Amino acid sequence: MNKKHTWSKNEKVFLGLLIPILILFFCFNTLPLIKGFYYGLTNFRGYGNYDFVGLRNFIEVFQDSRVGKSYLFTFKYAIVMTIAVNVISLILALGLNSKIRGKNALRGIYFVPNILGGLVVGYIFSFIFTYILPAIGEAAGISFLSNSILGSTTWAWVAIVIVGAWQGIAMNTIIYISGLQTVPEDVYEAGMLDGSTGWRKFKDITLPLIMPFITINLVLCMKNAMMVFDQIMALTKGGPSQSTESISYLIYNNGMSGGQFGFQSANAFIFFIVIVAISIFQTTILGKKEEQL
Amino acid sequence: MAEVILKHIKKVYPNNESKKKKKGEPEKKKSNLLITEEGVVAVQDFNLEIKDKEFIVLVGPSGCGKSTTLRMVAGLESISGGDLMIDGKKVNDVEPKDRDIAMVFQNYALYPHMTVRGNMEYPLKLQKKDPAEIKQKVEEAAEILGITQYLERKPKALSGGQRQRVAIGRAIVREPKVLLMDEPLSNLDAKLRNQMRAEILKLRQRINATFIYVTHDQTEAMTLGDRIVIMKDGVVLQIGTPQELFDHPVDTFVAGFIGMPQMNMFDAELKEEGGKYTAKLEDVEIPISEEKQERLRKNKVKSQPITLGIRPEHITLAKENETHLTGTIGVSEMMGSAVHLHADAYGKDTIMIIQTMNLTAEEQKNIAIGNKINFMFNGNMVHLFATDGANLEV
Ligand SMILES: Nc1ncnc2c1ncn2[C@@H]1O[C@H](COP(=O)(O)OP(=O)(O)O)[C@@H](O)[C@H]1O
Ligand SMILES: [Mg+2]
Repeated sequence: MNKKHTWSKNEKVFLGLLIPILILFFCFNTLPLIKGFYYGLTNFRGYGNYDFVGLRNFIEVFQDSRVGKSYLFTFKYAIVMTIAVNVISLILALGLNSKIRGKNALRGIYFVPNILGGLVVGYIFSFIFTYILPAIGEAAGISFLSNSILGSTTWAWVAIVIVGAWQGIAMNTIIYISGLQTVPEDVYEAGMLDGSTGWRKFKDITLPLIMPFITINLVLCMKNAMMVFDQIMALTKGGPSQSTESISYLIYNNGMSGGQFGFQSANAFIFFIVIVAISIFQTTILGKKEEQL
Repeated sequence: MAEVILKHIKKVYPNNESKKKKKGEPEKKKSNLLITEEGVVAVQDFNLEIKDKEFIVLVGPSGCGKSTTLRMVAGLESISGGDLMIDGKKVNDVEPKDRDIAMVFQNYALYPHMTVRGNMEYPLKLQKKDPAEIKQKVEEAAEILGITQYLERKPKALSGGQRQRVAIGRAIVREPKVLLMDEPLSNLDAKLRNQMRAEILKLRQRINATFIYVTHDQTEAMTLGDRIVIMKDGVVLQIGTPQELFDHPVDTFVAGFIGMPQMNMFDAELKEEGGKYTAKLEDVEIPISEEKQERLRKNKVKSQPITLGIRPEHITLAKENETHLTGTIGVSEMMGSAVHLHADAYGKDTIMIIQTMNLTAEEQKNIAIGNKINFMFNGNMVHLFATDGANLEV
């Protein structure tokens, strides 16, 4: 048995790359999670002294009607977003993958929303919803448009979906384009000779072969939508009358300025587990549909 | 009945695509395709009448336009000029699926997410055939191709040879009028390739289709084709039976392409004196058969420098006292019934195939690396080409 293990060059490179990432991940992911759990066990208000209260916060999260309402809103938002974003970005990707002029330029343009910050986009759309659309509505005499939809408890969430989708579509489209490019051209050609065109071609050939990319997109999109924050911050601040209060926004708002730091830490911890559970559920279900090529 | 007629078929790839390539890296000039105002001419003036159930092989070096021609017949590539007729109907603008053709691709192009059965059923399902009929046809085809035990497997669980059988199966279940194959065997190893070649021959007896088969391999072309179309740089050089191409190649390119090992070529002189032709290689007179003399006379061939071709199997050993050529043996490959010799003669690597049966023990002993060897050409079998490559007898 050799006692002294000497590191080979490969192992050194491997560790050199791995360790900094592990440290960063620990500092910015694991540590906050642990601290969050810790504060969840207290009645900390964000300032001053605090006491341990056991699991009381964790139990109360499930009884709190405002938390329940924010979960309902967040799920409604996330599901509508995921469906809308994926349908639209798949259609866009199909278009941008076909033989059209200037498709590379178009691909670039469609990606722009992704590089703009969520808040910036949010404020731009806020301006559009608050001033431009009502002005247009008034001028054209469309009463539906003449009041800002951000002020409507029934429709404000749709505005957030529009902004979120406008941004989310960019990344999903790029992923779908790369997915479509993995389908070999000669498989489509074989299909053409067999008589598989149009919808049949999409349903029988394209869709099954890009299943792995659909999984990635659904999981990423769902996760991002569940954690929606920037758009709400910029557009509605959870209003009107808490109708667009997402979980993240509630955690931030009431945790930071509502004196509920301990309670919202517990909420955040549970939310983390919910998101992990949803992602695992999605990958297992969809993974079964993926073709191992 | 399925005759396929290609009349002045032409394919031009518009210029803009080749321009794009230039931007990347300096264009590798692989072929000498004609380039016109409109673009790169990948196939020019292709004329061929394919009879019902005929087996046609398109052969030529890579990039000569074989696949392009086949894909135009399939409808996967638009036709830039000329008429394509299947069964007397012009089909230039008919959708691929309505041409009643099937195709086997080089990379199999199976549907990876479907089982073997799924792959073979798919074209029939699209035709909305009765399920019982589909089942029967798929199983019949699987039987013919010996893939019955793999019907429920996915393509990734099959070897290359099995995948290509499935691809052939998918093509034949539809009972197409025309079966197109684009280098179907080139991804298989040598042994499997020989085996599959034999099976394609058998398959041909069992199904009523006209075959168009693309390959760059002359052995495949010679063994499979009723007729061979040999192409180079988008141009058809010669169309004929394997025997015709072997015996009467139109030029040095065809002569070199058809036949393994390749035809030997020498620089020689052709002399004409009062209607009598003689060829001289260095100072040695090479006999020319009366039949060939007749053809040369008919073509009014004059005295000129020529390229003289002789196939390895048409070289015979000569005695010291006979008129002969001489070389030095470089490599000797014993193949059993014959020995393949590479001799350095007149600055050329000359290949000859000598049947061991006709050799005396003495002669056999003399065939050794470094030894001198005397040989002669069979006067009936020499090929005479002008220096530009054209066969002087044609
Ligand atoms: N889409 C295309 N655009 C431009 N040139 C092409 C295209 N496809 C093929 N070519 C050119 O046409 C020629 C013939 O190609 P191909 O028919 O594939 O040759 P092969 O005989 O090897 O099958 C090649 O020189 C190739 O570079
Ligand atoms: Mg090819």
